[in-house]
Amino acid sequence: MGVENPAEQGQILLRTRLCNPNFIYTIFSDSPDSNYSKLKYIMSSSVTEACNNSALLLGPRGCGKVAILEMVIKDLLQEYPDTICVIKLNGLLHSEDNCALKEIARQLCIENQLVFSKMASFDDNSQFVIAMLRECGLAHKTIIFVLDEFDLFTQGKQRLLYSLLDAMQSVTSQAVVVGVSCRLDADQLLEKRVRSRFSHRKLLFLPPSREDLQKILQHALLLPTESSLPPQYVAAYNKKLLNTLSDDKFKDIMDSLCNFDATFNHLLRFLFASVCHMDTKAGFLSLDNFKTSLSSIQRQPKLEALQDCSILELYILVCLRRLEGKEQETTNFNSVMKEYKDVHNSFQTTDYYARNVCLRAFEHLLQRQLISLVDNRGHSQSVEFRPVRLLISSHELHQGLKAYRSCPAILHKLLDLAV
Amino acid sequence: MGDEGNPQTPRRTTRASLSSTPNPKSSTGKLKSCNLLPLTIHDLAYGDESISFNDLISSLPGRRAQIIELLHLLGPLDSPMFPVFLYGGASTGKTSSILQTFKHLKRPFVYCSCITCYNPRILFESVLNQLLLHRRNESNRYSSTKRCERPSDFVNLLQEALHNVVDSLKGNVEKSSSKKSVGRARGEMVYLVFDNLELAREWDKSSNILPFLFKLYDILKMPEVGLIFLSNASPDTYYSDTGYVEPVPVYFPDYTEDELRQILMKNPKNPKLYSSFLGVVLRPFCRVTRRVDELLTAFSSLYQIYCEPLDDLGIVPNEDMKRKLFSHLQPHIGPSLNETFKVESRLSSEASANTNKWKGIAKKVGVSESSNEIDFHMSACAKYLLICAFLASRNPATLDASMFDSTGGSNNKKRKRSSEKSKEKKEIAEQELLLKGPGTFPLERLLAIFQCIVSVSECLPDEEARGDGGLEGESWTNGLLSDVLLELSSLCNANFISKGGSCPLEGANRYRSMVSEAMALKVAKSLKFPLAKGTVATVSNERID
Repeated sequence: MGVENPAEQGQILLRTRLCNPNFIYTIFSDSPDSNYSKLKYIMSSSVTEACNNSALLLGPRGCGKVAILEMVIKDLLQEYPDTICVIKLNGLLHSEDNCALKEIARQLCIENQLVFSKMASFDDNSQFVIAMLRECGLAHKTIIFVLDEFDLFTQGKQRLLYSLLDAMQSVTSQAVVVGVSCRLDADQLLEKRVRSRFSHRKLLFLPPSREDLQKILQHALLLPTESSLPPQYVAAYNKKLLNTLSDDKFKDIMDSLCNFDATFNHLLRFLFASVCHMDTKAGFLSLDNFKTSLSSIQRQPKLEALQDCSILELYILVCLRRLEGKEQETTNFNSVMKEYKDVHNSFQTTDYYARNVCLRAFEHLLQRQLISLVDNRGHSQSVEFRPVRLLISSHELHQGLKAYRSCPAILHKLLDLAV
Repeated sequence: MGDEGNPQTPRRTTRASLSSTPNPKSSTGKLKSCNLLPLTIHDLAYGDESISFNDLISSLPGRRAQIIELLHLLGPLDSPMFPVFLYGGASTGKTSSILQTFKHLKRPFVYCSCITCYNPRILFESVLNQLLLHRRNESNRYSSTKRCERPSDFVNLLQEALHNVVDSLKGNVEKSSSKKSVGRARGEMVYLVFDNLELAREWDKSSNILPFLFKLYDILKMPEVGLIFLSNASPDTYYSDTGYVEPVPVYFPDYTEDELRQILMKNPKNPKLYSSFLGVVLRPFCRVTRRVDELLTAFSSLYQIYCEPLDDLGIVPNEDMKRKLFSHLQPHIGPSLNETFKVESRLSSEASANTNKWKGIAKKVGVSESSNEIDFHMSACAKYLLICAFLASRNPATLDASMFDSTGGSNNKKRKRSSEKSKEKKEIAEQELLLKGPGTFPLERLLAIFQCIVSVSECLPDEEARGDGGLEGESWTNGLLSDVLLELSSLCNANFISKGGSCPLEGANRYRSMVSEAMALKVAKSLKFPLAKGTVATVSNERID
């Protein structure tokens, strides 16, 4: 693309890295007790010893379960070419048995250069899959089934899981089923007949520790010395970055980031936002970049929504809060209006508007999701009569009013009286 | 700017109006499209000259920080990105900002709004149509290229389509390195923009379309694809069972008063005059609402009043003139604060329906709503039915006998004796009515009340009432029940009366009156029917008096 600013090139390089999970997680491939090594051991043993295997990778979202699995599969494909066939399913897409089996058949056909028939029935497909399992077993070819969002496969009758795991009970087949789920109780969701056929290997994935974080930071952000970038720039950039990383203020930022959410994904998003905010003219990642990205990642949507409210909407919120304080069991628009009228009568506020204007403000609040209708039943009833509740605490309301630029003093007073 | 955030404007027209020459892609539905040239890969980006950064900023007042953040996140040419989630209240310029930004960047993108694509299938097919450069027209009977209902099919087709597009973009980059042309899309990335994502939450409670869309980036595993979500609900309102991969958030706050002034001042005919007008009205209105679309409708009629004393609209007002105009306008401000935004709540059972109503009602502003006349025509029979339904909804069934039966007076005496107690009771009843709203009633009860009222209005000594409904009343009582039922069903269709689910015990449908008390009173007045405020036992009281 012609001559460019080295900083811009560097930025593109960093963005590419951060968006590529395979790069980020490579640093975990060398340590012997990592999940990577364990998983690789399980899977390669089934390839070399021609046996069936199944495992579950469990852990919260954004801890690199799929990324590590992909790395292992990539390595295995390199180590044992032509003996592995990978079938990938996702619970979000293929939780339905029929659809899942079709997808398995389709991927098997593509892998083995066969013609896939869209018209094939569930029975045809299931027979085809079993036949393929046997054939592959005889040819000493391992089929790896990756079931992402494993918990979603356990909804319904679990026919797919049963037929897969049942087929693996025979000696001839040679397959690995790897389930990935963010539900730690995923194996408890299995039916008895399925659970008994499942080998209970579970690998737990946890958010990174402090040392790991530090490693990832350097791994992801340091520019490589041997690349197309000018070496002086790389050296200056790396020196500046290492300085920033060891800064105490940066450590504070990392603390608040990890207190909020310590998963890899969150960290990567944070780093991505920081890199995006990098000033390409100066060409360095500064502490300010990290600060702005932290504030843009950690948002408080309810407080923001409060700042967006008009004064009338704030009045309605405060009235609703007062009603809650009075411990009335149900509140709806009409009771809020009554309170609003009472408040006006006793304090003679300047902001007293007609009922229809208030109703519209009320509907704005519903749209902002600061209040919500209590039940979804009774759709025939109009909004004024349907019970509502506040979705923010009185503390949040307090905070919001305090931060509001030109909040009438009477609102503070009203709220304090309610508490 | 007026319609930029208006929820019910189809985004495609927004998009078409943004590009000065008709964009072939955006005119999908037009008949002319048969003679248009076949679409090329470059039609994925805006075709005409790109706008400069300064134009971009000045075209969207008050959104400078957001646009800069957006540009940062989109990054330089050919740099991969995490999914981005733009959120902010209605009418805050989210869609305009993203579309103008792409006009500035001239990168290929696909735009889909969950308003026009109102179910997963249409959304999927719309994305694929755009990526496969397919135009729906007469020759292909307005069909999509691929039929695709399930997310699993969509992912396979999308992967294929994206690979094709990215490959041709790459080829295009190699070619264009020798000669640069204007109409070309820049870069090798394709961006998918999903607008109004908050609507997708309602599509199907059990489906996992939202987690799927949020995870699409991970599922596709293509760094050449950028995903952008737009929503007017904040990320924390997207509940999901097991969570989802969170995108990078970008927040669009509501406009402040100063920003609103800038927006409204964008193209008035007489800037000086308009700015002095805004100086008067903007502050009080901002206390009620800060939405551009609502303010615009309110100001358009007020501005006409403001200009009334002026002969020459091109005049530059001096201080004296301003004061005069202000004193002319001032008496109108208060009423219009309370009046302009008329929301007829009886018609709205769902928030989404309401947003549609606002526009329609705002148009009706000119019509005097405060007068005692009802501003639509309705047959006398329908009016009586409406009143009957209102009475049936507001009064308990146990009171019917005392109300409509001339022998039911004994109940009344009791009430008079313990007046304090009855007052208390009445208050409690009122409270309950406020909370519960109108009750439901079976068809038989409605018809019985109807019969009573019609017979009463017949034998009323008041001859005037007879002139309106009495004569016809005779014919209704004479067994023309089918007419009454027809009227009832049309009232149901107009949502004056709502037809609820059937009662599990009785099995018959139950009805509910949706009209407000003011409305019922208006209707009663037009019939000269003695319906007074506080409907409980009104009729019987009237008769005793």
